Amino acid sequence: MSALIKKRQSLLPGDTGKFAGILSGIILFLAVLPILTMIVMSFSGASNLDFPPSSYSLQWYKAAWHTFVSPDASDVLSLGQAMGTSLLVACLTMIFATLIAVPAAYALTRCEFRGKGVALQLMSLPLVFPMVVLGLALLLVFDSLPFHMTTSRLVIAHVILALPFVVKNCTAAMLSIGSEVEEAAQMLGASPLRAIVDVVVPLMKSGILAGMLLAFIVSFNEFTVTYFLYTIDVMTVPIWMYSRTVSSLDPTVFSFAVLIVLIDFVLIWALEKLVGEGGVSF
Amino acid sequence: MEHQSLTQPVGAGDVRSARGISPTARAWFFLTPSMLFLGVLIAASLLVLRMSVGTKGAEWSGFSLASYAQLLEPYYLKSLLLTLRLALISAVIAVVLAIPVAYTMSRLTSPFVRRIFLAAVLLPLLVNLLLQSYGWLVILGPGGMLNQTLMGLGLIKRPIMLLYNQNGVLMGLVQTAFPLAVLPIASAMRGVARSYEEAAATLGASRFQVFRQVVLPMSLPGIITGATLVFAYNASSFVVPLLLGGRRVPMLAVMVHDQIAPLMNWPAASAAGVVLIITTLAIMTLSEYITGRRRRLLEASQ
Repeated sequence: MSALIKKRQSLLPGDTGKFAGILSGIILFLAVLPILTMIVMSFSGASNLDFPPSSYSLQWYKAAWHTFVSPDASDVLSLGQAMGTSLLVACLTMIFATLIAVPAAYALTRCEFRGKGVALQLMSLPLVFPMVVLGLALLLVFDSLPFHMTTSRLVIAHVILALPFVVKNCTAAMLSIGSEVEEAAQMLGASPLRAIVDVVVPLMKSGILAGMLLAFIVSFNEFTVTYFLYTIDVMTVPIWMYSRTVSSLDPTVFSFAVLIVLIDFVLIWALEKLVGEGGVSF
Repeated sequence: MEHQSLTQPVGAGDVRSARGISPTARAWFFLTPSMLFLGVLIAASLLVLRMSVGTKGAEWSGFSLASYAQLLEPYYLKSLLLTLRLALISAVIAVVLAIPVAYTMSRLTSPFVRRIFLAAVLLPLLVNLLLQSYGWLVILGPGGMLNQTLMGLGLIKRPIMLLYNQNGVLMGLVQTAFPLAVLPIASAMRGVARSYEEAAATLGASRFQVFRQVVLPMSLPGIITGATLVFAYNASSFVVPLLLGGRRVPMLAVMVHDQIAPLMNWPAASAAGVVLIITTLAIMTLSEYITGRRRRLLEASQ
């Protein structure tokens, strides 16, 4: 009898069957296959792109390190400079996007006001806006300005792209707090602004951090819009890599790529730890 | 959001009225910084619209619809149709693949496995598309993984050409946009309470019947959202057709760039861009309309 119940329970839906689990494992493996392939290729000892590589060595890492330490004279820009630009743009994007997203999230969760629907629609517009058109449009704007912008125009573009992610995460964090704590602080004599800064913002810290991380990741990996906006002396790492491989695929790129994937993976892992599953909102 | 509207007007309301600022003004004050950035986006798109009716040489003063007429020429029309077709096929494939993954994700219990799954979903979305395209070059190349496997299985005798044609581009499109299908579907499926599944199972439905007749219909809004996102994302895809298609798969976004970089034809690029915006917004609005109706129906029936 108990065996029968056990059998019946194992058939109950609730947890997915083995079949669905294995199937989704295979699909997910295929989804990350290009990234895995790249990691394997970076350890290749051969000089062609055949997979699997005929031998394994660290030659491309050595070559990559050599490029990093003593850049070719032929390169317009060294990897070090590109990396510097990338990190600067990503950090600035993260800071600005967060500074503007927190008050916006406050307005969107705590206030009932006219035009709220429009504001919500606008906030998610960069997510669905064709990136090529965004690049083209921003190029038109920046080129018609009387003064030159180089790094700052990349930052402006990246802030626009990252904004929906940061706002979504801050909004989710703020919704989970509830307005009682803020009211309590105000009843105890705090000004409305002080109640927000000293009570609400610390409570939604993990949501804000998640948004910041996402903004950093988005900016650090952004290619399409940057491809329209970069100038010859200010380029980010993805653009630098593209300009290096535009004619032929150079396997040293794979070792740089592994480094970037590693950074991304650590950031994503930290993100998941911060917000928990289901917490990352898009 | 609902539970706050019960308490919020009492506490914060009198503070506000004491200061004499209307809630609308206060809210828009908080929104101003982000609206400045979004304003750049809006202004820029209006400039593109203006540019698209300009003429080459006199971009800001001229007025002609020549750039739009040019889009009706066979070459451009073919590119538009190719873009829509690839976006549609990739959306269908991505959703079909995403449904089992999303269902498994929404029902996982072990936190560690759940994090591994989420990381595997997020990586293709967040890692630089350029890097993933390099991976595809290795997989699809003449001596690449896929050709080796097919030859090893004895399915083909000579390497088949996968790069620089529509098949390769399609595979790249499906893989890079796949997370956009998984995330909304998984969140919709998480919203389907297990008690419905248990009720159906108690009434004698098999596991597959429960999935097909209970879980799938109830998560349909998520599925539609996922399909729309993939379609919109891939219709304006740039990196994948550029790297995996060479110049042989001229999707609309690549054409936009080509009109600028070698040709310096700003009006033509803008007109193609306007077509992209309209396609994207139309499909988003349509899906919003469908899911909105569907959601209301579901809510009414519960």
